Amino acid sequence: MNMRKVFLASVAVFLMAGWGPAMADDAKPYAGQTITVLFPPWTTLPKDMTDRFTAQTGIKLDLQTLGWDDIRTKIVTSMVAGSAPADVTEVDWSWVGQFGAAQWYVPLDNSVKSDLPTDAIFTYDGKLIALPYNNDFRLLIFNQDHLKKAGVDHAPTTPDDLLADAKAIKAKGIVSFPIGLPFSATEGSATAWYLLTKAFGGELFDKDFKPLFTTPDSAGYKALAWEMQALKDGLIDPASTGLKDVEIQELFKNGQISFDVAGWAGNLSVYTDPTKSKVASAAVGALMPNVSGKTRTFGLPGAAGIPVASQHKEAAAVFVKWMVAPENQIESYTVLGNLPTRTSVLQTLDNDGKLASGKVLLEQAGSVEPLFKQGTPGWYPQFSSAVATALNQAAKGQLTVDDAVKQIAVGATDAQK
Amino acid sequence: MTQQAALPVGAMPRPERRREVVPRDERWLGLAFAAPVVLLMAALVFVPLGLTLWDSLHRVDPMRPGTPFIGLQHYIDLMSDTNVRQAWLNTVAYVIIAVVLETLGGLGAALLLQRIRVGRRWLLAAVILPWALPPVVNAIVWMWIYNPSYGLLDGALLRFGLISAPRVWFNYRATALFLVSLVHVWRMMPLTAVILLAALQSVPRELYEAAKLDGAGPVQAFMHVTLPLIAGGLAIALSQSTVFAFNLFDEAWILGGSSLDTRTVVAQVYMSAFQNLHFSYGMALSVLVMVASCLVSLVYVMRVYRETRYG
Amino acid sequence: MRAAALTRRFGLWLATGALLLWSLGPIYWAVATSLTAPTDLVAQPPHFLPPRVTFEHYGKLLGATSSYLGTDIQSVWPQFSRALVNSLVVSTLATVATVALAAFGSYAFVRLRFPGRNLLFVLIVGTLAVPAYTVMIPLYRLLVCLHLIDTYLGITLIYVSAFLPLALWLMRSVYQSLPLSLEEAARLDGAGRTYTLLFIVLPIAAPGLIASAILTFLSAWGQFMIPLVFSPTLATKPLTVLIPEFVTKNYVDYGLMNAAGVLAILPPIAVVLFLNRYLVQGLMAGSGK
Repeated sequence: MNMRKVFLASVAVFLMAGWGPAMADDAKPYAGQTITVLFPPWTTLPKDMTDRFTAQTGIKLDLQTLGWDDIRTKIVTSMVAGSAPADVTEVDWSWVGQFGAAQWYVPLDNSVKSDLPTDAIFTYDGKLIALPYNNDFRLLIFNQDHLKKAGVDHAPTTPDDLLADAKAIKAKGIVSFPIGLPFSATEGSATAWYLLTKAFGGELFDKDFKPLFTTPDSAGYKALAWEMQALKDGLIDPASTGLKDVEIQELFKNGQISFDVAGWAGNLSVYTDPTKSKVASAAVGALMPNVSGKTRTFGLPGAAGIPVASQHKEAAAVFVKWMVAPENQIESYTVLGNLPTRTSVLQTLDNDGKLASGKVLLEQAGSVEPLFKQGTPGWYPQFSSAVATALNQAAKGQLTVDDAVKQIAVGATDAQK
Repeated sequence: MTQQAALPVGAMPRPERRREVVPRDERWLGLAFAAPVVLLMAALVFVPLGLTLWDSLHRVDPMRPGTPFIGLQHYIDLMSDTNVRQAWLNTVAYVIIAVVLETLGGLGAALLLQRIRVGRRWLLAAVILPWALPPVVNAIVWMWIYNPSYGLLDGALLRFGLISAPRVWFNYRATALFLVSLVHVWRMMPLTAVILLAALQSVPRELYEAAKLDGAGPVQAFMHVTLPLIAGGLAIALSQSTVFAFNLFDEAWILGGSSLDTRTVVAQVYMSAFQNLHFSYGMALSVLVMVASCLVSLVYVMRVYRETRYG
Repeated sequence: MRAAALTRRFGLWLATGALLLWSLGPIYWAVATSLTAPTDLVAQPPHFLPPRVTFEHYGKLLGATSSYLGTDIQSVWPQFSRALVNSLVVSTLATVATVALAAFGSYAFVRLRFPGRNLLFVLIVGTLAVPAYTVMIPLYRLLVCLHLIDTYLGITLIYVSAFLPLALWLMRSVYQSLPLSLEEAARLDGAGRTYTLLFIVLPIAAPGLIASAILTFLSAWGQFMIPLVFSPTLATKPLTVLIPEFVTKNYVDYGLMNAAGVLAILPPIAVVLFLNRYLVQGLMAGSGK
């Protein structure tokens, strides 16, 4: 099995140079082939789009959807068994280290690099293993009505401002727990802490992956202390120990919290939609607060990649490339709410006034950096669940801030073994 | 000869003392009836199981090249893994709570069903209903019930004045473990009830009447007539609930995520093998889960059979 | 005597009430949630009855177009009905195959002597303890080789191998409790083994067969991990795999989830009601003798 894996991995598939429908119209070299595509539910491409793809390329699509955690189980099972889960699958930014090290995905060639800044996140060992089609990064989303009622006229720019504003909102009795942050032992809790670590001006690891968050003057330590302080001051619901990020978002939509601290960029379109949200007119985005005067955030994009065991690599490559063509990114945004990954497409959408809080979104998009400068390491998932577990324990009062960061550091060392 | 051939009734088959000549056609018929079962199980369970056992003695880690033989290294590492130890403790708690509650509840339900005459069909359907709910939906229904803000549990407790403010039950390890077990018990108890009901149904009614004539009260009749006769069913039910509790995953995963307070061994298997991609390490742990649940079940089976007339 | 009978009856009613509350309480809550409008779901304290009954969640499942992130997309009914059919087909196939194999296999293990039967029986029943994860990947490899991924046959075979041990054990204990005299009488009348099994033994063993069928059907119906991996597309994907897909990244739709769950329990309940008529009534006929 391993021999086969190495052999297949060495067969690099290069995307053709041309982009957009023009090239598809010229020739349909893979007409008649059918490729299977495995995506999460939020990328269930509408029939119009898949029909158009087939018309342009002659390639038929067999679109499969699986729940989020389940896609990964499916990919791992089939790849370990030496067969392809599908010809094209979702590749999350957090899987890059593992799937890259395992050489499970065909290296791709990206000819629009400058327009797709997030492709760095999907580069492992110099090879691009998937092409990002679904943009995601974190920013602060807040309820401006709550803030106004509390007598505050601008968005908080530092973490301390945020605490002060939340206290003012709580004091006025506008909502009982103004700050929304998840503390369940799930991935969303961990990513919120990473974001706050950036907000406090630091990094998680140095270049040798040694933890940088263990001393009280470090950004990671301060970020955790900040979260615990907010919890202790009653600014965060103690029930957050059981809440996932999606449930925090429900609270925001219902107007029960004022700040979605680790808000998802793509969610602004949901929050401002009156059919989905009770706070549609009040929800606005703001640059992530910070201590240095320069806003920072990190990217968590989704991408499409081609497993090495795929039998239709060339046809699959045509599809992957098609996913990032401008008109498809725009349609994917308007129909599914998937934020485009191409800077030029974001710009176009904003010019057309289709982007909620567009100016902020674009500015924050410009500040997106990868969580790990070296690229997502293979041990990231193990580290991340250690983080989520420790945060959950700290929020339940089972660990002090000091013990929690130490436990996370131990988790990091274990994961790297 | 045919008269003699129609023997052993013992629940745990014993080796026959006297070597009898088994008619050849009986042997062939036996093999013919058992062959499909044996072939199917060999191909779909024993061979894969063997492969996994073999893998667990190697380092199969897709992120690292090669699959060197490492002997029992994974099993040794598992002993000193603190997360694994915590997960085992949680699992032991789940098994104890689940087996006790399911057996008592299931036996109670089966006895009640046996006794009820009017609408028995409907009562049985109601009892079985929880089991028909897909596990994932089940966990989500209960997540909604346990929700501290909008849930039924806190709502009801508040209404009856048992608590004064909503509680976050999952913030305490003991209640979290119990609440997760409860979801599991709710779903699996029907299985115990059906198995025990089937066993109860095959107790000949004459035996009860005989016991009654002998002046036995209901408790005595139960202890001396019912219990020994449903021992086979009880052993099956106990083993089932043990195995299922050892394999508890969905409920704990959906309600508690990777939280160490509620993480089960199988959740740990999932995390090691599928999240962290330490594939054979996870497989070694899953082998231990299998061995543990097998051993615990064996203890019941032996005990139950020994303490009843079959012993 | 009369008072005692009255107390007994009262006790029975009390126990029945408690049992119903325990079994149906959470189901009621799921039904109530599925009928509550999203805005009323997040009420404090919760409403025990939906303040306004709405069928919007069922509407999304069963008809019309549904709204997804603010845009109209085709309804989920085509997917839902397809998955429903898949669930029914696979569960039924698995049940029929399991019960048939167990009926013959167990009989062999109880009444027919052949070499290695005790060891084989213990080994097979021992596989009850094998966690799904332990064999999943080698099994996947095997089914890929046989081209059985995403086929009814493949998934049915896996279910049968998973649920057969329990059915086998259950049937064995049922056969053991049957009186030998009947079979002997039949044999003295000149009936062959197979004839005896089919026409004398199986009818009396009906409650055991029905119980095995219920066990197998419901276990197969509730599977998640196995079909997740082995039934990737709607060609064979069952409801249990489809339903969690309603939890999208941006939105947990509790109303929709509960509505889907409520619909998912209706078919197994119909099957159980149908089967347990025999479970409850069928057996007394024979076993008394």
